[in-house]
Amino acid sequence: MASEARGLGVRQFKAILRKDIVMELRTKEMITSMGIYALLTMVIYQVALSQSGTAFDPRNIAAGLLWLAFVFTSMLGLNRSLVHEKDQGCLEALLLSPVDRPVIFFSKAVGNLVFLLIVQVLTIPVFAFLFLQEGSYAGEWWMIPLALLAGSVGISGVGTLLATMSVNTKGKDFVLAVLFVPLMYPLLLAAVSATSAAVLGGDGSVQQFWTGMGMMAGFDAIMLLASFALYEFIVGA
Amino acid sequence: MNRHIVVLSLLVLGGVMTTTAFIMAFFFTPPVLGPAVTNEAGRILGYQPLFSQKIFYFHVPVALASFLVFFFTAYYGVRFLMTKEKQYDTRARIATEVTLLFVILTMATGILWTRFEWGRWWVWEPRLTTYFIMTLLVIAYFVLRNSIEDEERRATYAAVFGIIAFIDAPISFAITRIIPSSVHPVVLRSGGGLTGSQLAAFLIGLFGMLMIGYALYQTRVREELAHDRLEAVKAALEG
Amino acid sequence: MDPVLQEIYTLVVPAIPYVAGAYAILWVALVVYIGMTYSRVGHLEKEIAALEESLERRGVGM
Repeated sequence: MASEARGLGVRQFKAILRKDIVMELRTKEMITSMGIYALLTMVIYQVALSQSGTAFDPRNIAAGLLWLAFVFTSMLGLNRSLVHEKDQGCLEALLLSPVDRPVIFFSKAVGNLVFLLIVQVLTIPVFAFLFLQEGSYAGEWWMIPLALLAGSVGISGVGTLLATMSVNTKGKDFVLAVLFVPLMYPLLLAAVSATSAAVLGGDGSVQQFWTGMGMMAGFDAIMLLASFALYEFIVGA
Repeated sequence: MNRHIVVLSLLVLGGVMTTTAFIMAFFFTPPVLGPAVTNEAGRILGYQPLFSQKIFYFHVPVALASFLVFFFTAYYGVRFLMTKEKQYDTRARIATEVTLLFVILTMATGILWTRFEWGRWWVWEPRLTTYFIMTLLVIAYFVLRNSIEDEERRATYAAVFGIIAFIDAPISFAITRIIPSSVHPVVLRSGGGLTGSQLAAFLIGLFGMLMIGYALYQTRVREELAHDRLEAVKAALEG
Repeated sequence: MDPVLQEIYTLVVPAIPYVAGAYAILWVALVVYIGMTYSRVGHLEKEIAALEESLERRGVGM
């Protein structure tokens, strides 16, 4: 009985996730908009760094710049993904169907996570090509993906909750930014610390990396649990 | 009526206590003694008085009170989600209002102190950073409220955000402390243990501030209830 | 007044009275705000009581 219910939940989860991905494959709207947005951020970085002189090494702030780009693109993506649901009446239809609320949360969050990860994978080589010199990456190769994953899980999990709220307000994307940035602050701080340790290397960088990872894991665990528990009230209202 | 008297007396008592703590701190309580000052021969001449510790008597009580009131935002948020009663939403909103007031006071006193102690108006020091984030969270709470028209939806969203923001604040504090910041070295001077009169001044200030926080919260709740009654009377007069 | 403090205020750190003054201003602002809130509630409740009374009287008149 219980395993049957679980099987149903997994099937529903897969169905919603597949719907999001199939729609994306057809329109390519999310990835294009997020990708171009990230590219535009790179242009802004060039402007911002244009007067910093030759002595300044962008490597020192590379992690911060990367996460800055990801924060803005993820806000754009989160807003779009939920605006779609709302405009096409998908969310209402989902709520009328006998799908468990937690399943809706997880499938939306995983969908957002997948898109964010794809954009990250596309952005990083471009960023490295534009701003980093050859061989300037000092850490182990697996450090960056791990840090990206830990940060992105928190961003998409809590972000899905916040975006579901913000699409139902008058301010939409503005409200999302106001709610998102202060809540994400601790996660971003840890993410930048871990990523920076991976990029810069040096003494104690491994320890700094794992401290950052631990902080992110803690944030993800606590905040995802809270978002998961509270999502039901949000979609019900 | 009885309750009003309790609130009023707490208000007055809290005021008297915080004022006492303030006067004690700046005029009577001897400063906490820090590292020893020695001459060339290594003989201890005396101890350096630490003024940073005076922050204890006003800033820290306000900060603690703000955090305690913020707890009630989350608490009434949970109560609202469980019962869907409007009064809990009102209470959560007022608790957040009082939090905003106290957080702003914390920020103002904190900034004054960094300027005085460390010679800079702003230092990204864990406590200040956390309070900066908390200010933004509390402001975000009101931005969220103001951008929703439907009353029940507004109450639900605000409750959810209040809970999640309250969870976020301590995490933020923990992470800012643990993550090393390479840009601004943390300059923290910790005072030694508090002696009797210093502890007394601190506790008086703390309890006074908590009383004020509670009384202010109750007074605002009373005002909201009175507003509701006014609306009802007006409706009855017109109808 | 504590003699050590007296000496420090006049000789070592003359800026302290200003900081204390700034704190005092913030503190007074808080007190004024609370006082205003409190008196506002009192007025409001009196007003409501009067209105309710007139409502009752009208009810009797009808």
